[in-house]
Amino acid sequence: MLDRLGTSLKDALKKLAGRTVIDRTAVDELVRDLQRALLQADVNVKLVMQLSQAIKQRSLEEEPPKGMGVREHVLRIVYQEIVNLMGRPGEVTLGPQTILMAGLQGSGKTTTVAKLARYFQRKGLRVGVICADTFRPGAYEQLRTLCDRINVPCFGSPTETDARKIVREGQQACRHLEVVVIDTQGRHAFEENLIEEIIDLNRISRADHRWLVIDAALGQQASEQARRFHEAIEIDGVIVTKMDGTAKGGGALSAVSETKSGIVFIGSGETIEDLERFDPDGFVSRLLGMGDLRALVERAEEAVAGEDLDVNALLKGKFTLRDMYKQLEALNRMGPLKQIMSMLPLGNVQIPDDAYDITSAKMQRYRVVMDSMTAAELDDPSVIGSSRIKRIARGAGVSPDDVRDLLKYYKVMQRALKGMRGLGGGKFNMQRMMKKFGRTL
Amino acid sequence: MFDSLKKRLHAIRNAFGSSIEDAMGPAPEEEVEQPLPEAASPVQTGETPPAEEKRERPTVINRLKVFVKEQEVLLQEKDIQEPLFELEMALLENDVALPVTDEIIARMKEDLVGRRRRLRSSVDVLVLETLRSALCGVLGDGLNLIDYINSHERPIKILFIGVNGTGKTTTVAKVANYLRKHGFSVVIGAGDTYRAGAIEQLGTHADRLDVKIIRHQAGADPSAVLFDAVEYARAHRIDVVLADTAGRFHNRANLMNQLSKIRRVVKPDLVVYVDEAVAGNDAVIRADEFNRTVGTDAVVLTKADIDPKGGAAISIAHTIKKPIIFLGTGQGYDDIVPFEPRAVVDELLGGEAQCWTDSERP
Ligand SMILES: Nc1nc2c(ncn2[C@@H]2O[C@H](COP(=O)(O)OP(=O)(O)OP(=O)(O)O)[C@@H](O)[C@H]2O)c(=O)[nH]1
Ligand SMILES: Nc1nc2c(ncn2[C@@H]2O[C@H](COP(=O)(O)OP(=O)(O)OP(=O)(O)O)[C@@H](O)[C@H]2O)c(=O)[nH]1
Ligand SMILES: [Mg+2]
Ligand SMILES: [Mg+2]
Repeated sequence: MLDRLGTSLKDALKKLAGRTVIDRTAVDELVRDLQRALLQADVNVKLVMQLSQAIKQRSLEEEPPKGMGVREHVLRIVYQEIVNLMGRPGEVTLGPQTILMAGLQGSGKTTTVAKLARYFQRKGLRVGVICADTFRPGAYEQLRTLCDRINVPCFGSPTETDARKIVREGQQACRHLEVVVIDTQGRHAFEENLIEEIIDLNRISRADHRWLVIDAALGQQASEQARRFHEAIEIDGVIVTKMDGTAKGGGALSAVSETKSGIVFIGSGETIEDLERFDPDGFVSRLLGMGDLRALVERAEEAVAGEDLDVNALLKGKFTLRDMYKQLEALNRMGPLKQIMSMLPLGNVQIPDDAYDITSAKMQRYRVVMDSMTAAELDDPSVIGSSRIKRIARGAGVSPDDVRDLLKYYKVMQRALKGMRGLGGGKFNMQRMMKKFGRTL
Repeated sequence: MFDSLKKRLHAIRNAFGSSIEDAMGPAPEEEVEQPLPEAASPVQTGETPPAEEKRERPTVINRLKVFVKEQEVLLQEKDIQEPLFELEMALLENDVALPVTDEIIARMKEDLVGRRRRLRSSVDVLVLETLRSALCGVLGDGLNLIDYINSHERPIKILFIGVNGTGKTTTVAKVANYLRKHGFSVVIGAGDTYRAGAIEQLGTHADRLDVKIIRHQAGADPSAVLFDAVEYARAHRIDVVLADTAGRFHNRANLMNQLSKIRRVVKPDLVVYVDEAVAGNDAVIRADEFNRTVGTDAVVLTKADIDPKGGAAISIAHTIKKPIIFLGTGQGYDDIVPFEPRAVVDELLGGEAQCWTDSERP
């Protein structure tokens, strides 16, 4: 069920592949699929509508950077807008601090308190926790049991009913410690008394951080709940728990956007060790049900950043040594050549295996050889006979075989190109190659 | 519960109504080509709009024409595209999961588009009926726990399962309290031997409610604890066994296997799947998994006080086609409400749907 959505977004992106002008219908379709993916991931409906509006507008209005295909252009905008929404990962400092935890009932606060204690303990800090949950049966025993496992002191009392008092006394007791994490009872936005309580706990504890714990499965309520918590105690970080399930955590995105904070940690299991720093790229990829989106976007950007290829001249049949070199350079930035070549529509053209073997050392040598050529030779290598080969080899300080090697490679490439032109032509360019490459992700 | 959806549905009904009226074109009398004073008398019912009443002695032709115009309407998708979109947004905003929303929309479309629909009295009724049948179809029938217990051999064994932190343990305590108030005796089995503090949590509830609890040590085999609870109920002629289990994720095969084993050992009469109203789209996925791997008979939806929109109820009920028996509406023992789908749909549609009996529905 989940994957189906990821696929549909991928399909929509595929429809953009190979296009060179932006097609309103295709963008519309993509945006619709994107909306579905985000809604399915529980991102706030209004946020989704805003986001998709922005994406649509930018896709249609902004010129794609020269050499970047429509698909990559749109993909990049999608990525930028979502990352923008997500803000930066929340800061975690490794020094003395007090952290106050807040969140809905059962969201995972207590478990996360123990995980955080473990995290800071591993960083060599002296840690203590305070159980200010005076309501839930077994709350103290739960936290106590978890803390005992890692030898972290746990302040609290199963019989005390005043959370404020516990925090006051607890902080006294934890004076000598560096990091203090305060667990609180579960509460929601409409419980006025409890909202009052957490305001007081924040004031009393003078916490450095107030982290909101959000269950990855939290739905459309996320925004409103986060807003209320934020109004009450100024949330400065969000922790998404239960990411080891199948939920996508879109609620956390709503919460982050509501609190203008960032995601600090991810809870990924029931044990004390299951805490991870937040990785925005992984998060967005999961949200959209797509592979590593950033890698794809970066690759597209890098490829474009290189010298522009004269793709058109190339296709009109003019394929010079210079073109080949540029092509190779661009290809090298993208990954193993063979993999890319194998995606090209080369038809029956046979390319010797060693033709793929363009290491950067070899590229370097080609560059040197080409430096010794005249402009006329570079533009039309067919004029190069054996005497010219000797001259070039001498000038470049390589053997004549090295020069022949370059020329042979050029011929192979040229033939491959001709083959392609025969196969419908107009297809051999970086953009297309990018698309093919992206599609295998 | 469902307040916000209710409000939206009301507006949407009106939107559907006017879209459909637009699609039908101008009122029939203006459409009649021959300026004859006569028009069709109503064909069957007394539900004729007043406009037609003054017409009399129709010709056959006219009669047919007006019959088509007045009694039937053929809608195109584009006619109702806008209200459909609004309905879709309303459902999504109220946490009805995407696939379930899709299905409700599809049902609405199927019922309204491309078919000649007879109009009983007004467009509004047509919309109301269609919405009602879509929602009823999705929410299914209810299950009354008291009736169930009364009609089955005791001890009745009820196993509570679900993902982490949804409210299983609290629900066990609430149901114990509820059943005791209805005159049944209850024993609780502390089947969560895994999570820190779980046994103490349930123990405190049992003490406060003065209910017998069967527990082993932390780390013990949950099947063994629950087996003991069932044995205890047999020996002491207890009416109902309530078995708690540890929260677990549906994508953890070994934990799901453990649950299947518990199920084999306890042989529960009812497996109650507990999830929370605040859950979004994942509700559908995990309900489906639990239902397929362990099997479920009924659903409790907790934390309805945090999220009164009720979308998760619609999503889960629709996905696993099992009745919702209770809503959890707070952390107190009395914060539990039996769930009656028909009443909910009536409530959702503003109470007006009640006046339609079964035979009148399409
Ligand atoms: N699988 C998984 N389970 C988690 C994670 N975080 C918490 N849990 C489980 O979720 C359930 C609830 O966690 P708690 O830490 O008790 O939640 P809480 O927010 O303290 O609950 P209240 O104090 O009642 O509001 C427990 O079963 C935890 O083991 C996580 O990242 N992954
Ligand atoms: N507001 C509200 N809170 C509830 C409701 N039901 C349970 N809770 C709270 O949710 C939290 C988790 O409840 P538990 O009963 O411990 O959940 P669980 O499913 O047994 O959790 P695990 O055993 O850890 O998987 C507790 O703080 C409960 O008080 C409800 O209907 N409304
Ligand atoms: Mg807790
Ligand atoms: Mg429990």
